[in-house]
Amino acid sequence: MSKRKAQQVKEDLIVNLVPMVDIMFLLLLFFMLGADMSQREQAELVLPTASEIKENEKVKSDEPTTTVNIQHSESAGGKCPINASGGYCREEGHWAVVIRGREIPRETLREQIKNEADASLEPDVDPLAGVRLSARKLIIRADKAAPYGDVNKIIEYAGTAGIYKIEVGAAVPPKS
Amino acid sequence: MAGAAMGDDGENPVNINITPLVDIIFCLCVFFMVSFKFKQLEGKFDSWLPKGKGSVGSVQIEGILDEVRVAMYWDEVNQRTIRQLGTRRIQSDEELAELIREGHDAWVKMNKPDTPVTIDAEARVPWNDVIAVMNLCKKNRIDKIEFALGAPPPTGQ
Repeated sequence: MSKRKAQQVKEDLIVNLVPMVDIMFLLLLFFMLGADMSQREQAELVLPTASEIKENEKVKSDEPTTTVNIQHSESAGGKCPINASGGYCREEGHWAVVIRGREIPRETLREQIKNEADASLEPDVDPLAGVRLSARKLIIRADKAAPYGDVNKIIEYAGTAGIYKIEVGAAVPPKS
Repeated sequence: MAGAAMGDDGENPVNINITPLVDIIFCLCVFFMVSFKFKQLEGKFDSWLPKGKGSVGSVQIEGILDEVRVAMYWDEVNQRTIRQLGTRRIQSDEELAELIREGHDAWVKMNKPDTPVTIDAEARVPWNDVIAVMNLCKKNRIDKIEFALGAPPPTGQ
């Protein structure tokens, strides 16, 4: 009788871990699928907001695309007190152009965009331009505080390289 | 914590110790939770460049331009962008939207609905302010937006 009682007490103390393991597995699965471990083509920057933008559509997998990011660079500008305080840093050289996670020096930027354009030329000569234009789409993602001159330069380089499909990125404003 | 947790030892002689498994899953969970970030919803403005003009460089324009030109320049002292349409300085977004609409409508009445809005911004103007003007144009259903570089110096009120 007393032995039975002792066994009963022992059984009550056993913690069933199975539901916990199940839930942790589910959580793990959720975070693993949600985590983006791919090579980041899109740098983390604060985009300007615009209410009239078209939300991102699924990019056709066969459409050649290059994303050009313009961001304030710690490596180029070091610790910038103006940027850190949320001001508009206009220091030349503090803004970096990043393509596929790699900072492109200003001197080679035109060449880089030209190479991108040449990598996917359209098969036929364009009757308007008289040359083979590039089928590549250029997406410009510039930080909201980035100087307009840098964006303009990229558009100019793209135009001279034969890229005519350009998109500028912006963020959807938070719903109030 | 121990292994078992799966009934009576007598019924189930194989005792699997799941403690290390729980520990590892817990660590993985913490790792992914810390590195997890909700993506900001993004979108794009289409802005096709005119074909065949890209390699020409700056174009010499003669006569009166068919356009609504918004000049933007950077006020270094006050750290803000000053916007100007014609000779009039713009104080608010509403005022600018109204003037752009009026300007564009005037061209539409003259049978020139394709007249663009040209954003003529100084290189130091923050991109945020340029996007704001583009957004106002889109709100007014104006799709033809052009960029120019180098705003003229401010003139009068």
